[in-house]
Amino acid sequence: MKTGYVELQDVVLDASFPELDLALRRGRHVDREDLAWYTLLTEAQDLLETFYRRYGCELVHKADGYFYLLPTGEKLSRRQLGAGDMLVGQALALLYLDPATIERGGRATTEDVIAQLVVVLGSDALIRAFNPKRRRKVDERVAQKTVRTKIGEGVRHLAALGFVDVAGEDGAIKLRPALLRFAEPVRGLSAPAEALAKLVALGEVALVEPEVEKAADSDGDGDGDAPVADVAAPADGSGHGVDEDVEDDEPVDNDW
Amino acid sequence: MSRNLDQIVAAIGDRKPSLELGPVDICFLIALHVRAEAANLTAFTEQQLEDVFAQASAAVPPEDGSVRRRATPAIQRLRGQRLLARVDGQGVVRTGEFALSRLAIAIVEFYLEEDVLTRASLGVLTASLRTALADVLAAAVAAEQPAHWREGVVGPLQVTITELIAGIARRQRGLDLQQEDFQAEIRRLLEADWFGALDRCQGLLESTSATLHELNEVLLRDSTALLSLLHDIEEQAVMHGEAEAESAAHRLMDQIDRSVAWGSARQRAWSEYFQYVHRYLRDVVRLDPTRALTQRLRDQLAGTGARFALAHAGAPSLRILRTVAPARDKPPVVRPRVSRDQEPATEAGEDPQALLDAKVRAALGGGARALSSVTTAVTGELPEGERFVEAGRIAHTVAQLARVTAAIERPWVAVSAELEVEDWRVAALEGKS
Repeated sequence: MKTGYVELQDVVLDASFPELDLALRRGRHVDREDLAWYTLLTEAQDLLETFYRRYGCELVHKADGYFYLLPTGEKLSRRQLGAGDMLVGQALALLYLDPATIERGGRATTEDVIAQLVVVLGSDALIRAFNPKRRRKVDERVAQKTVRTKIGEGVRHLAALGFVDVAGEDGAIKLRPALLRFAEPVRGLSAPAEALAKLVALGEVALVEPEVEKAADSDGDGDGDAPVADVAAPADGSGHGVDEDVEDDEPVDNDW
Repeated sequence: MSRNLDQIVAAIGDRKPSLELGPVDICFLIALHVRAEAANLTAFTEQQLEDVFAQASAAVPPEDGSVRRRATPAIQRLRGQRLLARVDGQGVVRTGEFALSRLAIAIVEFYLEEDVLTRASLGVLTASLRTALADVLAAAVAAEQPAHWREGVVGPLQVTITELIAGIARRQRGLDLQQEDFQAEIRRLLEADWFGALDRCQGLLESTSATLHELNEVLLRDSTALLSLLHDIEEQAVMHGEAEAESAAHRLMDQIDRSVAWGSARQRAWSEYFQYVHRYLRDVVRLDPTRALTQRLRDQLAGTGARFALAHAGAPSLRILRTVAPARDKPPVVRPRVSRDQEPATEAGEDPQALLDAKVRAALGGGARALSSVTTAVTGELPEGERFVEAGRIAHTVAQLARVTAAIERPWVAVSAELEVEDWRVAALEGKS
């Protein structure tokens, strides 16, 4: 492919680069919907991969048609999604795979996400998942409202990361290809545990141990303090970074 | 339209319109329309109505638990809703004849309508429009009398041309419905035969895209010619001061603009949809021919296996430092060691009576020989409101310091503008110790 970028300088001088660079560093996933950014990344992929590797990051390009930046060292801050975001993300990925969503041109609503979660998890488990610190029996209506609120927050957070777009007054959610990241552990032919181990080794995902969550839950005051996640170190030999960074600096993205 | 929306809605609302039609009713109407077309009937006898109803209700599955309704109430219901009208005007003289109303025909046409915009139908419509508009333009150029304008220009613009443009708009709505059906069809195909439906889905997408593209091209090309003709008609109308013709032409130009905008909007929307579905077919269906991914993802979400969280870059926002003024040290809060209570001290105060005595002595020493004179001298410096009170004290002091005498009838003497005193004569100070 003929590109206009011969040297890294050409890329950096592109008018779109500063915004794109900032977005990638903040965890944004870029697909064809972001046409100018996607074109820039596609045309300057080799140069930018080298560029970001110097910051201890991998510029990942998935076959599904999206890019994102994955820190593998300690130079760039690394975060992981909260438990609630993960639930919302997986429900959105299920909607993305559902032919029913095709009829609406890849659009869903927050109600669809909640319905999907209710179908898969059941109402009680869903309420427990989003009200983990409530030991006392609380009013069902309040608990349901909390679930709706937190799912809405999760959707907005995932939108900021480029997994979906939230557009329009009706709050329609446009599903984007990056949602398939939530299905990565089960996409291959290998067993999910094996695939997950590979992803952990690559630093794509971090395992979350329930004990850690429980410990974090039990000392909380019920307002959703962020659990400190146990994150496996990447296999790049750095031996640091993710654990320390995640624990000391930015535990997780979201409070759940 | 000169009337505003509120007026229109209120006028319709006053008539309390309502429609309540079930599947049997709608099928009855459709059957009547089809029968009338086939047999060139302009009206139905009661017997014909009952026959058609029997035929229509036999074709419709009965609703849950309900018995099939009979013809008489069905006919009555349609008449009550002004869908069926008696047209013979004979009353009880003989059995009636009935015809479908305009409303009923509109409902039937909605369901029967297969008017979808195609390249052929659009081409025919735009060609007819061009011809009709050219005729109207020629009539406008030749028109000399207002009557010529009404018959040759305004009439055709308001009826013929408007109908033709409405035909395009109606077919556009038909195409919209067809596209919705396509989208539902793609969903049904995928749900029924996941991987096997790939080719058919792609075929549907490609054909619809091609249709929309062609339509948009025709609309863009022909609309230029149509707008140009309408513009010429409008110019002629302006030249001859024919406001009605001008506004009719202007309204039609707006309608054509809307049609063109429809084409662009639909093509843009379809293009977005096309890309999404194409990507879906490529990334989801082709890569997961057995559709196992959905089930595995559902299991993962349900909590089987280890829990995990996606990692991503999370650089914080840039921090812009600002100049901060150093905070001043606040003095510590202390309690005074000495007692805040102070012992009272005796201070010599001024005796007001002594002061008054001195003033009165001064006045008497100055030669005042009447109470009024002393009062005038002493209260002269006081505000008006205090003089009355002070006058009493002065009288008391004068009586204490000097010998005073008074006539039986003491005269009232003005001391100031608002104060009078009963006057005394006052002797010199030597007379009293």
